[in-house]
Amino acid sequence: MNHLPEWLSAGRDETRFRAMLLPDSPYTLEQLAAESKALTLRRFGRTMSLYAPLYLSNHCSSGCAYCGFASDRKTPRRRLEQEEIRKELDAMKRLAISDVLLLTGERTRAADFDYLRDSVATAAAKMQRVSVEAFPMSVAEYRELADAGCTGITIYQETYNPLSYGELHRWGPKKNYRERLETPARALEGGMKSVGLGVLLGLADPQEEALLLYRHLLHLGRTYWRAGLSVSFPRIRPQTGSYQPPFPVSDHLLARMIFAFRIALPDVELVLSTRESPAFRDGMAGLGITRMSIASRTTVGGYSDPESVERGQFDVFDDRSAELFCDALREKNIEPVFKNWEHTYNGPSSPEMAT
Amino acid sequence: MDLLHLGSYTLSSRLILGTGKFSSASVMLEAVKASGAELVTVALRRFNREQPGDDLFTPLTSIPGITLMPNTSGASTAAEAVHAARIARELSGSPFIKVEIHPNPQHLMPDPIETYEASKILAKEGFLVMPYIPADPVLAKRLEEAGCVSVMPLGSAIGSGQGLATAEMLRIIIRESNIPVIVDAGLRSPSEAALAMEMGCDAVLVNSAVAVASNPPDMAEAFAEAVAAGRKAFRAGIMEKSGLAAATSPLTSFLGSEA
Repeated sequence: MNHLPEWLSAGRDETRFRAMLLPDSPYTLEQLAAESKALTLRRFGRTMSLYAPLYLSNHCSSGCAYCGFASDRKTPRRRLEQEEIRKELDAMKRLAISDVLLLTGERTRAADFDYLRDSVATAAAKMQRVSVEAFPMSVAEYRELADAGCTGITIYQETYNPLSYGELHRWGPKKNYRERLETPARALEGGMKSVGLGVLLGLADPQEEALLLYRHLLHLGRTYWRAGLSVSFPRIRPQTGSYQPPFPVSDHLLARMIFAFRIALPDVELVLSTRESPAFRDGMAGLGITRMSIASRTTVGGYSDPESVERGQFDVFDDRSAELFCDALREKNIEPVFKNWEHTYNGPSSPEMAT
Repeated sequence: MDLLHLGSYTLSSRLILGTGKFSSASVMLEAVKASGAELVTVALRRFNREQPGDDLFTPLTSIPGITLMPNTSGASTAAEAVHAARIARELSGSPFIKVEIHPNPQHLMPDPIETYEASKILAKEGFLVMPYIPADPVLAKRLEEAGCVSVMPLGSAIGSGQGLATAEMLRIIIRESNIPVIVDAGLRSPSEAALAMEMGCDAVLVNSAVAVASNPPDMAEAFAEAVAAGRKAFRAGIMEKSGLAAATSPLTSFLGSEA
């Protein structure tokens, strides 16, 4: 369990990355911000790609200590049927959303692979871009998901520290650290065009987490040179179960991490969700973040029934409407981009030639 | 008149503008107008028929005197690019297609093999094909043979602002090409665009350098002026670099005086 693969236990050429994150870093936050801003502007321009999450199901078989949907929580369980998914997607489309991230809990009989694949197909018929944040799958399953129109998956290791990982994932299939670690590679093997990685900030020593995440990205980039890579920066927020993170991450440290990733990986997509405050999101737009979620509902069925008082997987901090959020971006001279993809580019890339 | 010929089209402006990365569609439109560009490229992925506020294509059609050239940015294979090109022609009515295929979404380097395959198919289908390519002289000739109306080698990586890092290869491509050579990607400042034109490039395509300037319309105009100046200088004949000073004792005196 504690035996990490070689590519994760030792890096190469990471002196600067480490230095940027040191508590007594020789780089001031302001220096890093300036460099990160310049790189972001040059490579991504004055734009922000937008997406929204759609919670398909909150059934779960895992016992993640920090999660509001863990299987021992009293949260009412529900999954959306295909007709309901269409209704949700239509409600999202009315907000101009064309890029959707479908979410489920760990694999259950209520929300299994067939259900997920059908949901992907439903979404791909309506949206330009569909990605999935669900459970680890086999290469063959990923291939099927790609065939159904899924372009990418998001899978966080949550923590790269094997001891913390073991303690926090109390039961269920997610207990297996290595299985999860190797999931992004299986997804790419199966024809996914992109993978999104991240750690759940607060679970373990953040500097160490950032370093291992960085190694994971470099490893994937070397092994799968076609892979689109993105990094998310989810920070633990209060939720059902009142889990208190042992390593809380401050705004300053989170900003420093985002800048370090931008500087070390100038052309990788960096993602920030509505878990973060409006002030932090607005501030980070243009400084390094290139992709944000918008108008998010983290409850099952939350778009077509926005009045629902049900608790989601986490509490949304930035609950501004799509319109208000876009206005804030424009105020900063950044164009919100809803459609930055073409469904023509969906499906697994195959060398077969159109004639 | 010094015109740029692209297939059956003739253009008097040698600046082609990209439309991504701007802070808003209105700023982009202002920059396009200020640039005097007659050919403007727009990614199919930024066409949005469902959300007019998010659409880059329709607003561009309101500018008189420009021809739109859809591009396949986002495609990672020839098959995707061919499919995208057909959709783009359907939606835009433009005969032009900028074939842009980058299998790695990070560095966005064009895939020479897929680009060649897609360009060959699209040229046969009657598109005016403008492929975005690595600065590879052999690939450029192969694409010319495949029926492309121009080749668009990169000066340096997209959005890198590293200028004409590929200058040596560009010189070979320019020397050997029978179709217009258009430097695409990497130009940071108007002086670099002027330099490309002085080298003999037929046109340049600029996007990031204009889009992220503090004042995009002014920067677009500055690029237009630099491109025009560079072209004029090229046509006027630029003097040789000095440095080949005559040796104090002649190197060829042993030959005696010429008969």
